[in-house]
Amino acid sequence: MASCLSGCGFTDTTPLQVSFCRPQMTMTRLLPLGSPRVKLTASRGLLLSRPWTMHASLLLAQADPSNLLAARLQMAITLGFHIVFACFGVGIPALVLLAEGMFLRSGDEGWRTLARRWSKVFAVLFAVGAVSGTVLSFELGLLWPEFMGRFGSVIGLPFTLEGFAFFVEAIFVGIYSYGWNRLSPLAHWWSGVPIAVSGLASAWFVVTANAWMNAPQGFRLVDGAVVDVRPLTAMMNSATWAQTTHMIIAAYMVSGFVVASIYAVALLGGRTTLYHRRALTLALLPAAAFAPLQLAAGHWSAQVVSRTQPVKLAAMEGQFQTEKGAPLRIGGIPDEQQRVTRYAIEIPGGLSWLAYGDRQATVRGLDDFSPNDLPPVRVVHVAFQLMVAAGMLLLLVSLSIGWSLWRHRKIPTGRWFLTAVVACGPAAVLALEAGWTVTEVGRQPWIVQGVLRTADAVTDAPGVSWVVAATLTIYGILAIGTLVVLRLLARVPLPEAADGN
Amino acid sequence: MAIELVVLCLVGLGITLYAVLGGADFGAGVWEFNTALQASERERALIYRAIGPVWEANHVWLIFVIVVMFSAFPTAFAALSRALWMPLLLALVGIVFRGASYAFRSHAVAALRQQEIWGAVFALASTATPFFLGAAVGAVASGKLVVTVDGRYAGNYLTGWMTPLAIFNGFFTVGMCAYLAAVFLTREAFLQRDPELTSLWRRRALATGVWMGILALGGLTFVASDAPLLWQGFRERAWHVVAVSLVTGFLSLWALWSEHHHGAALGAAATVATVIWGWAVAQYPLLVPPAISIESAKAGEAVLKLIAWSIAGGMLLLLPALAWLFYLFKNPTESD
Repeated sequence: MASCLSGCGFTDTTPLQVSFCRPQMTMTRLLPLGSPRVKLTASRGLLLSRPWTMHASLLLAQADPSNLLAARLQMAITLGFHIVFACFGVGIPALVLLAEGMFLRSGDEGWRTLARRWSKVFAVLFAVGAVSGTVLSFELGLLWPEFMGRFGSVIGLPFTLEGFAFFVEAIFVGIYSYGWNRLSPLAHWWSGVPIAVSGLASAWFVVTANAWMNAPQGFRLVDGAVVDVRPLTAMMNSATWAQTTHMIIAAYMVSGFVVASIYAVALLGGRTTLYHRRALTLALLPAAAFAPLQLAAGHWSAQVVSRTQPVKLAAMEGQFQTEKGAPLRIGGIPDEQQRVTRYAIEIPGGLSWLAYGDRQATVRGLDDFSPNDLPPVRVVHVAFQLMVAAGMLLLLVSLSIGWSLWRHRKIPTGRWFLTAVVACGPAAVLALEAGWTVTEVGRQPWIVQGVLRTADAVTDAPGVSWVVAATLTIYGILAIGTLVVLRLLARVPLPEAADGN
Repeated sequence: MAIELVVLCLVGLGITLYAVLGGADFGAGVWEFNTALQASERERALIYRAIGPVWEANHVWLIFVIVVMFSAFPTAFAALSRALWMPLLLALVGIVFRGASYAFRSHAVAALRQQEIWGAVFALASTATPFFLGAAVGAVASGKLVVTVDGRYAGNYLTGWMTPLAIFNGFFTVGMCAYLAAVFLTREAFLQRDPELTSLWRRRALATGVWMGILALGGLTFVASDAPLLWQGFRERAWHVVAVSLVTGFLSLWALWSEHHHGAALGAAATVATVIWGWAVAQYPLLVPPAISIESAKAGEAVLKLIAWSIAGGMLLLLPALAWLFYLFKNPTESD
């Protein structure tokens, strides 16, 4: 085997005779770079091997340089696709349970019809979410083998727990979807509860792993080797609570606003049956209630970012120079050559106040960090502005509902209001994708903040750009297929009982 | 037992359950593929009804295997991700299309043309996925992947996995899925008191079973010629397991012949399980032969313990739920 490797830059390691369990099977192996043996010898001061980075650079020198961009694009496409379905997986079960719960309380068949129809939609969305999530679990290794090889044991715990949550979800999706006639109405409602709970748990576990990439802890690096791994400490890192809260609220908002948006289209088109009005109300109210909470959760997240990733905060705000009493910029386009953000509306002292609660506080600018450690500022800043702008629309709709409920004890029904609700669906998805862009692009050039560079983690496999092209085609087919099937489901005529008016 | 072995046995359990339960779901699609032109609507209905409530849960065993592998044996996972780049990508395409097309076909109400298209995609993807997953396992078993102890790969990313044993195992896995599906569907048809379909699936199961038996023996010659390390393991340690596999294989065929449908299903599952454990025992203590062993790839003691405990806790939640699912939809007394 040594001979097959000698052409690949490995020859200068000292070959080590290692015997396997069977004595007659003595084999020549490479020096185990990340194994306990090396750590032992290294700590004794016997430098038998070059540091691992040297090997990585030797390998990377041969890798296709376009791999990094292609692999990041591949991750962006597959994650950006999955995240929408994942949000539906968290939020829609709760809506279905609300509808079925109303049926149980009132005995009104209309609510049951609503729950049944939504559960069919959910079954389709869940299947697409499950397979696109499977793609991601493989891709972590396929695209970023160095990342998984070195840190798999650090972040494996939340993924294992998420695996179980997903398992419970899949089991009860089967029971709930096929159990309408096999279980008593109450037992059937309860069989849906684990779907909603485990969807929530899945989201929480997975986002803890992402939070760890932003605020890594729970391990030590000794000569490039990961030692002293404490997965629980890694899972409960300083970004965990803010990021998971922000994401889970986002999932409920996306589900609620997208569903509400679809029924708002129906109402505007003249389909104003009781069924449609109920569906709109049921989806819109919880989503609207979450919008003000999201403002607080987002603020909390930004404060955590200011502590754990000051460079990301500077990119989000387009803050090039370190500044005392930094302004809050609304809009604007960062000019990375001239190191200035133009065309922004500036609120004096706003950023200092939001980040540190003091209008005179100093905010570190991008120029305070090494040029090698800066994310693409324009993408991050613009994405952040888009997220905030979309969030503000959702908040506005939420406040108008609150006002109308307080003054008139009913949800507004005017054309302007319904048009705004139609816009809320796409706006919620936009906010979701833009927010995800902020957290991922804002961490670049690191895959694990300050610890492992994305360029060092990427695979050397050839043809990643072909994979991207194939993925675009396949996910395009998937997206079209989903939309077509959902339209078919929506066309099924409503039973008489649903038309109560 | 050392903690890494406990975790590895749990991975083995996950692979076994995925192969038996998930394999049967794929196998149903393989049959749809093979009988595309002559299958009746009633036959298709039986297939869809059988896998509908359970396929998503069965699919999660694969996720379980993946996440436990990268948590507990990170360097082995990195090596496999590199060396099996092609077959795993191709399997992923299959997984995506299988799952999505099943859901689309089931819910594309009153659109016959679309149902036909998605049905075809489902059949094709159900056949391709086990082929590539089986090939990936075969490539590992052949011991020809040029991996290093630290999880790097020096072979060809596009063709390095195409060993004779890998290609053989791709086909073998498709056949195994078809056999499982035929035996399980015989039982399903019998439970639904449909003598015509019962006898159809029984004949198919018997024919596939005989062919798979012959193929399995042929597979041993592939191992002997293509994977000397594994062959040695078979001769030294795993021959008991192979013997058990032979016995359960014959028993499942005999049960089919004498129309003990539950026994046949059990026998077929046991046969597949023993084939997998035979491979595992023969390959012990290597994870990715020849370079990566359990010892060199394992995570730290504390991590392994935590994983073992979280799996134990997870199973406490999972197993009752899984039992309820199968009780509701695979129970002999239920027949609506």
